[in-house]
Amino acid sequence: MRSDTRHSTPPELELVKVTKRFGSFTANEDVSFKVEPGTFHALLGENGAGKSTIVKCIMGYHAADDGDIIVAGASRDIRSPYDACKLGIGMVYQHFTVVPAMTVAENLILARPDLPLFINWKKEYSRLREFLETAPFQVPLEAQISELAAGQKQKVEILKQLYLNSQILILDEPTSVLTPQEADEVLGMMRRMVDDKKLSVLIITHKFREVTTYCDEITILRKGKLAGAGKVKDLTTSEMASMMMGEQRKGKTIQKAELKPGATVLELRDVRANRDNGIEGVCGVSLSVRAGEIVGIAGISGNGQRELVEVLDGQRPATGGEVRVAGEPFHMTRAEISKHQIYVLPEEPLRNACAPLMSVAENIALRTFDRPPLAIAGTLLSDSRVRANGRQWIERFNVKTPGPDAAIGTLSGGNVQRAVLARELGPGTAKALVAANPCFGLDFAAVDFIHSQLLAARNNGVAVLLVCEDLDELLALSDRVVVMNGGKLVYEAPVAEANIREIGERMAG
Amino acid sequence: MTDAESLGWWGVPIAVLGGALRGGTPFLLVSAGECLTEKSGKTNLGLEGVLLIGAMTAYAVSVNTGNPWAGLLAAGMAGMVLGFIHAVLAQQPKVNDIAAGIAMIIFGSGLAFFFGKAYIQPVAEQLPGIEFGWWSSHPAIRSALRICPLFFFGVAVVFLMQWFFESTRWGLFVRAVGDKPDAARAMGISVWGVRTCSIMAGSFLAGLAGAYLSLYYPGSWTEKISGGQGMIAVALVIFARWNPVGCLWASLLFGGAQALGPALQSVGISSYYYLFNASPYILTLLVMVLTCTNKKQLAGQPGALGASS
Amino acid sequence: MDEPKPASVIASATAEPPPEPLPPPETQPGDIARERPPARALQWRSKVEALVIPCGAIAVALVLFGIFVWTQGANPFAVFASIYKAAFASTRSFENTLVRAAPIMLCALGTAIPLRLGMVVIGNEGALVMGGLMATAAGLLVVEAPALVVQLTMAGAGMVAGGTWLLIVGALKHYRGVNETISSLLMNFIGIALLNQAVNSWMKDPSSLNKPSSFPIPEEKMLTPLGTTDVHWGIVFGVVFCIVAYILIHKTTFGFQIRTIGANIRAAQLAGLAVGKVTLVTCFIAGAAPGLAGMVEVAAVHGVANESLNVWYGNAGILVAFLARQNALACIVVSVMLGGLLASGGILQRSHQLPDATILVFQGIVFLCILYSESLYGKFSIFQEKKS
Repeated sequence: MRSDTRHSTPPELELVKVTKRFGSFTANEDVSFKVEPGTFHALLGENGAGKSTIVKCIMGYHAADDGDIIVAGASRDIRSPYDACKLGIGMVYQHFTVVPAMTVAENLILARPDLPLFINWKKEYSRLREFLETAPFQVPLEAQISELAAGQKQKVEILKQLYLNSQILILDEPTSVLTPQEADEVLGMMRRMVDDKKLSVLIITHKFREVTTYCDEITILRKGKLAGAGKVKDLTTSEMASMMMGEQRKGKTIQKAELKPGATVLELRDVRANRDNGIEGVCGVSLSVRAGEIVGIAGISGNGQRELVEVLDGQRPATGGEVRVAGEPFHMTRAEISKHQIYVLPEEPLRNACAPLMSVAENIALRTFDRPPLAIAGTLLSDSRVRANGRQWIERFNVKTPGPDAAIGTLSGGNVQRAVLARELGPGTAKALVAANPCFGLDFAAVDFIHSQLLAARNNGVAVLLVCEDLDELLALSDRVVVMNGGKLVYEAPVAEANIREIGERMAG
Repeated sequence: MTDAESLGWWGVPIAVLGGALRGGTPFLLVSAGECLTEKSGKTNLGLEGVLLIGAMTAYAVSVNTGNPWAGLLAAGMAGMVLGFIHAVLAQQPKVNDIAAGIAMIIFGSGLAFFFGKAYIQPVAEQLPGIEFGWWSSHPAIRSALRICPLFFFGVAVVFLMQWFFESTRWGLFVRAVGDKPDAARAMGISVWGVRTCSIMAGSFLAGLAGAYLSLYYPGSWTEKISGGQGMIAVALVIFARWNPVGCLWASLLFGGAQALGPALQSVGISSYYYLFNASPYILTLLVMVLTCTNKKQLAGQPGALGASS
Repeated sequence: MDEPKPASVIASATAEPPPEPLPPPETQPGDIARERPPARALQWRSKVEALVIPCGAIAVALVLFGIFVWTQGANPFAVFASIYKAAFASTRSFENTLVRAAPIMLCALGTAIPLRLGMVVIGNEGALVMGGLMATAAGLLVVEAPALVVQLTMAGAGMVAGGTWLLIVGALKHYRGVNETISSLLMNFIGIALLNQAVNSWMKDPSSLNKPSSFPIPEEKMLTPLGTTDVHWGIVFGVVFCIVAYILIHKTTFGFQIRTIGANIRAAQLAGLAVGKVTLVTCFIAGAAPGLAGMVEVAAVHGVANESLNVWYGNAGILVAFLARQNALACIVVSVMLGGLLASGGILQRSHQLPDATILVFQGIVFLCILYSESLYGKFSIFQEKKS
């Protein structure tokens, strides 16, 4: 390929005082660090610390406003991912960038910058097989991506970069969709290639375990600025944590009142549902949640949790089984929701729980608009009452908005989540609550707030079903934990007796 | 129409066959164009306007130069110009590509009627047909088997397009852009460029289809010449599951359906003439009702189709 | 990917006030959630934006159209003057404009109301034709009854027929996932074919030779003009229907459901709204409007059902719905303007030797400009709330 920029060992990558602004907002300020050839370098930071922005500058998605990006000793003007690729820099994203409707082989050769105009599939296949022989892991070349499991897809992403001969690999939270076992396998392979001096790796992560196990050096960002750097072996995790978060933060221990769970509120009997592609994704789930109890569903994403939650919040028809609430069949109609007071905190609230172009007040009114006092005579809707109601909840939940009439889609993620919380939990009448990754993408304070709200709800006798991909969070909150794998529940234990190792194994299948 | 009555009832299948080949050709070209467009992740309902512009341009150029092939080429070019406007408009943020298509229908038909008014009277040099019925002395068979070279061109196009999607760099680009634009962008593919090219190439084919209408069959320029074929192409592509070769079979089916009404009338069944004329539309609707589902994404459907950019 | 996520800080929502002053959360570019500017100011600016952008788009369209007619050898200013004269200058011409505006605004609702549900339905033409056909059939059945009964029967039949026509579209969408744009388009062709079939066979008046038509509704049973004008009741129906639609969508709980479903069907499902029922009812109401337009065309203009029912009012309605940005009240104004434009087709031919399709070109240019302008909302910093 381009022998001019290729070296037998990976090139050195250095950032010197890189600054990136978006309008008046500074995402990165004077960030400098160096990825030495053949090292495993961690980039650590909280959500919003500017990790993604800085790597996007390296990859050419953003142009840095100030500073230099130096690759192999020369300052480079990287304008697109294509430029980055020419310099031997490749990136594996948090979300998948493989094309679902194409086969693995098509995806691999699609990434080639020197893809010929006409493709000789016979030749390409033999080249791909040859490449796979030297690759750290295998995937079936003819398989269509949409049929692969998440771990397989992630492997294709990495293979794609290796096939491209990338020598500096940027991994953006690559293990968030993998089982602990899969994560170890993938990172172990990467580590071996780094040890062979075939590769430098820059990994964005917030998992200390991955940093201490696999990384040589670490750079820590806080609020867009450099907060610390050094060799991993010279730092303790608590030092890293304090650099990441600023002041030493007290690890919050969650207080759970001792409660005897009450009667069964939410009961699932052999619930089945299909995925978007028509294949069964929830394959007979039976579960009951009692009043005053948090039942946590653990599992790698893509094992049917999303479909299950969508069945419970009325967004996906069940193909079999039944859901009962307080002993009565529940079909997610408005009348039943209102009668049984079932509320939902779905993941991605803007996509799942809000009408982005409608106002904050209207979104807050979504549960109550057809009842007095908002509705007059059951048919007319009072604008002023909707607005007043909205204003009240905006104040009580401290939603930052220009006003109740602003479109909710213009608010920041945390504020959208607060508005939804106000709507679902504000009135305090819930009897059952379904929460799916409620803390995803939020900062510590917001996470604390949501945790305390969930526990408060539990302590008040609400039956809570919590789906969460973060196992630590799940174990801290739940009274009982179940594991979902391949659309089925494969493990169940009270949290006190839960065996983490076994949970991990069951998650992996 | 054919003088099928001399063949009695046999005239009906022969007329339908002839109709499938003759009436199916514009469907074939338009649906192939729409298939390419949709594979890149955008819908172009405006092909109806392109069809009219193509028909008018081809006719006008043929009248003025006496060369129908020049008219054909001009029609394709005119289609590409309209396609470019659609490409620009439909890729703006917050602009719905269906709405843009409707606007293009109004704009395209407006232009076609405006400039075409002067050409309703004159007679244009027509595209030649190839006689495949030379072996038969029967006029109905001979007329059914008189096939325009554009039909073969269309058949070649769909097979080429199939190969293009599977085994060429640009074909893979189009599929990637249509299925997952973010991924394509990450690979350094210009989503805008690929979509613009696809929409323009699709409109070129639709322009040719327009030329076929005015220069071969029915072979004159009138304002009602397109009869919604450009919009039906969108339905045809769904029916063909975004498969170019599938478009061929779908087009033949619809061409045949179109010929049913006149063929039945010619053997004396004329009581439901108007309803039989609507049979392509009824058929399309039936096919869509039977094949669509709200339970899952259709096989072959590009992932980005219907999403706003 | 984690963009610079707004690390918003949630203060306790319950009893105690936030312990310390909240640090300003990080925000994304363009995020207005950072501080609380006065709510009034924001609204004022966005309202001006909602007025300036469409007006600007129309101005650009006028310029483009002016250039177009200039290249065709006409004086653009004279053309605009002629259009104005033909549409609005005299009482007579304004009456003519209103006569055309009536079916257009009813047809516009056929597209504007489903747009609120997020459905692009273009089946007005078919609903109008079916409305006209069924109104005629119903009127002929009770033709002996008093005029008012005949008219009410016709209106009811027209609305039910048009409503059912689009109800089918909604049902296909909801139950089978059939694309509503395509199905409504096909339903147009099928509706027109049904009309032609009916007036050529079952309902054909043998005395209608040149233009096959149904038996006529007797003159004395038709809708009368308003007062001494040429304007008929259709314009009243149209305006009332638009106002009712506006109230329905913006001031009722049912309208709230429509808007929520249109804005995000997932949120609507989460709230337990009966998406199917609302979709079907809304489509029925939407179809009733062009159905009524068909009835008006028969009962006030033609007196018979025939091919003249199919004269592009449906397409004009689609244009109006988008120009009015789905706002039922704005549909009234835009329809009158478009009605004037359509009324001026003849004069362009006579005075400027421009074909009647000129008006269609103009409509196309306006539509394109308006659609393009949709992408400009939020692009001009002058309409954005200033950050302190």
